[in-house]
Amino acid sequence: MSSVNRQVSVRQLKVKKCNTKCRLIVFATLAICLVAVAVFADRLCPYDPYAQDLSLSYQAPSAAHIMGTDAYGRDMFSRVIVGARASILSTLALVCIITLVGTAVGTISGFIGGKVDAIVMRVSDFFLAFPGLVFALAVAALLGGGVLNAIIALAVISWPKYARVARSQTLSVKVSSFVQAAVLAGDNPPQIIFRHILPNIFGPILVTAMLDIGTMTMELAGLSFLGLGAQPPIAEWGSMMSSGRSMLQTYPWVVLSPGIAIFISVVIFNLLGDTVRDYLDPK
Amino acid sequence: MKGIKKAVAFAMAMALTLGAFTGCSGSKKEPTNASDDGKKTFTFGDTTFNAENEEATIDPHEAYCGWACIRYGVGETLFKFNDNMELEPWVAESYENIDDLTWKVVIKDGVTFSNGKACDAAAVKACIEDLVAVHERAAADLAIDSIEADGLTLTIKTQEPKPTLMNYLCDPYGCIIDVESGNADGIVVGTGPYVATELVTSDHLKLVKNDNYWNGQPKIDEITVLTITDGDTLALALQNGDIDAAYGMAYANYPIFENDDYVFTGTPTSRAFYCQMNYNSKIIQDDAVRKALAMGIDKEGFVNTLLKGYGAVGVGAFPDNFSFGGDAVSTVGYDPEAAKTVLEEAGWKDTDGDGIREKGGKTLTLKWVSYPSRQELPLLCESAQATLKDIGFDIQLNITADHGTIVSEKDGWDVYAAAFVTASIGDPMYFFTTNCLDDSPKNRGGYHSDELQKLAEEMNVTFDPEKRGELAIQMQQQLLDDNSFIFCSFLRMSMITKANVTGLKAHPSDYYEFTADLDIQ
Amino acid sequence: MFKGYSLLKYTIKRILQLIPILFAITFLSFAMMRLAGSDVVEQKMLNTGQVVTDAQLEAAKAQLGLDKPFLVQYITWLNDLLHGDMGVSFVSGMDVFDTFISKLPATLFLTVTSIVLTVIISIPLGIISAVYKNKFWDYFIRFFSFIGNSMPNFFVSLVLMYILGIKLRFFPIISREMSFESVAMPTITLAIAMSAKYLRQVRTTVLDELGKDYIMGAKARGVKFSTTLWKSVMRESLVTIITLLALSIGSLLGGTAIVESIFMWDGVGKMAVDAINMRDYPIIQAYVMWMAIIYVTVNLITDLSYRLLDPRIRLEGTDNE
Repeated sequence: MSSVNRQVSVRQLKVKKCNTKCRLIVFATLAICLVAVAVFADRLCPYDPYAQDLSLSYQAPSAAHIMGTDAYGRDMFSRVIVGARASILSTLALVCIITLVGTAVGTISGFIGGKVDAIVMRVSDFFLAFPGLVFALAVAALLGGGVLNAIIALAVISWPKYARVARSQTLSVKVSSFVQAAVLAGDNPPQIIFRHILPNIFGPILVTAMLDIGTMTMELAGLSFLGLGAQPPIAEWGSMMSSGRSMLQTYPWVVLSPGIAIFISVVIFNLLGDTVRDYLDPK
Repeated sequence: MKGIKKAVAFAMAMALTLGAFTGCSGSKKEPTNASDDGKKTFTFGDTTFNAENEEATIDPHEAYCGWACIRYGVGETLFKFNDNMELEPWVAESYENIDDLTWKVVIKDGVTFSNGKACDAAAVKACIEDLVAVHERAAADLAIDSIEADGLTLTIKTQEPKPTLMNYLCDPYGCIIDVESGNADGIVVGTGPYVATELVTSDHLKLVKNDNYWNGQPKIDEITVLTITDGDTLALALQNGDIDAAYGMAYANYPIFENDDYVFTGTPTSRAFYCQMNYNSKIIQDDAVRKALAMGIDKEGFVNTLLKGYGAVGVGAFPDNFSFGGDAVSTVGYDPEAAKTVLEEAGWKDTDGDGIREKGGKTLTLKWVSYPSRQELPLLCESAQATLKDIGFDIQLNITADHGTIVSEKDGWDVYAAAFVTASIGDPMYFFTTNCLDDSPKNRGGYHSDELQKLAEEMNVTFDPEKRGELAIQMQQQLLDDNSFIFCSFLRMSMITKANVTGLKAHPSDYYEFTADLDIQ
Repeated sequence: MFKGYSLLKYTIKRILQLIPILFAITFLSFAMMRLAGSDVVEQKMLNTGQVVTDAQLEAAKAQLGLDKPFLVQYITWLNDLLHGDMGVSFVSGMDVFDTFISKLPATLFLTVTSIVLTVIISIPLGIISAVYKNKFWDYFIRFFSFIGNSMPNFFVSLVLMYILGIKLRFFPIISREMSFESVAMPTITLAIAMSAKYLRQVRTTVLDELGKDYIMGAKARGVKFSTTLWKSVMRESLVTIITLLALSIGSLLGGTAIVESIFMWDGVGKMAVDAINMRDYPIIQAYVMWMAIIYVTVNLITDLSYRLLDPRIRLEGTDNE
């Protein structure tokens, strides 16, 4: 929680920034490529990812099917590409939602302070203390399975983390001289929040969010793995791994293909997150 | 800089020590079936022996615990089913149907409980009286009025004609146990080849051989039954040698064991995977739609490819080891072209070119409900979704553990794919009374057939098994002609054992597993 | 300045805060599981694949009190709880408290082993990584930490089982008793992901400290770097590390649903998953309460340890009074 709560040392900032910038460009490009694959998935996949042909069941990887086929004879490569849509785009949507909500709640609560702050913190305590599994399962049972509902479940239990980060940042910025000066100059609260506080707490929150993308990808996959996320026949990496997990020994490509896809995406987003942190907050 | 190196060296040494520690702590373990004192041991992995499956204990008078009691060789019933699901003597020698309400059963001479006590008519009477007193389902099935015991002869009177009374007594709840010995910790004393010594619900059961067994000498000294709910863990445990045999392996893991080191023992069961139609739905009421659905499911592909041939393609409600099952009835086969014609002729046409047919402004969209706890059902649903799409159906799958709530709503669904043991006691009537008649608890789709009602009434008062079989054929054919049920396949129940295990054989009833023949070389 | 008195007062205040959280959480979980549709009676029926009549179904529900309105059920439960009775499991019929207590040792054992392994792996490697920043060892360690951090734990479990259990036969697949041999694979699975995460945090924390002015000052004064590293950097880093460990211990004590299930480790997490699948409300309630107690306790211990380790830090929640 406190790892983002760091001081910026201007001296070293200049030294390392150049090197970091190069890495930032590389990883950002890779991440954009991933998102592009997700967006243009339809045009990129060689076969219809939902077309079944039982005579092609469990084909090992070959020139025609570079990742082999699954139990129903569907092309794994096409399914992995289309799966990027459900996995990556929904993760990004999820992270956006919780970042926005968490930041808004945390900033306002930290800025106003007093009773409001105390109540908001108790509410966030409540959500943090509530077992995520029970919540996700209840949401799935109430609203039915599906990617959207999995996002809702994760969003409801994840926003307090951002609220806490935003709040602690706001508290430290609030007492700084330039905010005090703005208050004295008669700026109204929205002006102060938007002009002075948000720009100053943006960095730590962005870093938290970037580093969270990888974790959230796995959490979504985990929910799908437990049967609470994407529903068949929707191609989603977590549910593809879940339905293929018993094939690890017999038809490893069915479970390894989506597994490697999750792995690569998480690595790319984690590297990007690290680099963004180094860039904004070098040590 | 020396300081850093020292620090780093120290840190690395710690990491290495740890690696060595974890590496060495696991001594190489060679699985063995003989303990130090020369006793033969056997370990069995089962996916269903737990409280979730109502098998919290092995007391047959509790929920479905009788299944564990009979499977693991602790309890035995009066009669047992043979491979054709017909009754054969077991604890009892013979039975006689005196009149509509009276049955006479003769117990075998020499049967004893594992504590040495003789199992005579009085003991059986005490057991059945306790059963109907505490077990509601049994009480309703048996409808017993009174029981008299005289030496080895038992006379049972029922409250109403019960043509299948003897079959019901062979349900696992009918295990004969010594009620005087009680059921402390869920452990009961039966007449079977093994005696339970330790039970931890949903975890394990320990058995030792019954030295007093009345029907031969059990060969294994100690058996452990482990509850392993995860299918992959089960497979790995069998490969690793932690267990000697497994029940409930996932199909995808079968290829690992298809070699000389392992033996499969399989048998067709009457657990049917079928689709039930909801007659409350306007689209389903269309005869052509139901017929096209029946023609649009690739049952062969489902069984041969997705289940790897471990199953039997279904026609009617019963598999072909029953005289009234298998090809005794007939229905339409998988024929996508014919299905398209049927729909075309009924006016279902794809006018907007999206691949889905429409008629009178309604698209051919069906809400298809099923559940994931039976591993075969999601496979069936996903396969059917694709084959039906080619015909012009838009199938919206909802595979959820919550299916019970959905199918209880009249408009919530169109097709329900489910699994059901159609002949658990060897008699056909159970399936119809449960699923197809006007007052059936599971006739959620509101199906009604005058003809079927009439046949069912006749069946209720028919005692002759052969005549009952004929009626069962007519009743199934009625369902198939109406396409109100589509029977896709029957489960082939398989156990996988290490090659040195003998005498473990799967049974069509799914009841009997451990016998005195069980041995390990 | 705080005195012993205010520290005690603070602790009591935090524990009192647990009460409304417990109320709210148990109520919400009760409401949600109740609204979730099917109940334990239907789940059992489904698992056995057999059918009971509607009358039998209603009788079974009535026996468990499931036919009553939701609020009545909750109040009954609450009332029993206040009298020290957590009820019996709907599924096994056994006492909830006894069931819960019987699962606790396994989870505690796994928690201790995996935390110890995580500390042994992540602290030294994190320090190496920080000291050799952007050199070979740093990249090498971070490479593996990325791998460990980017694999779902169910996947790690299966791979470990396959390699260590089947190919090398180091460990048994099924964790039967509480021995180091049995706990090895679930421990390694958990430690891989946690070490990967905490290694990065340790690295960051140490880098934070290394970048501070007093390090420069010490260097300028000619203090040996190793002395600075052990005496100052580690002491300062300890606050962060303790926070992290407290959080991890908290989440481990809550049971690790997937890992415990896969390895058949009979702990709290497996109990929770089974209970949720079966809609076994009394067990779910016990689990939810346990999680809330852990959460509050862990937070309290973290706050208190901050205070003890670094007197400059003021306790959260006291600055408003």
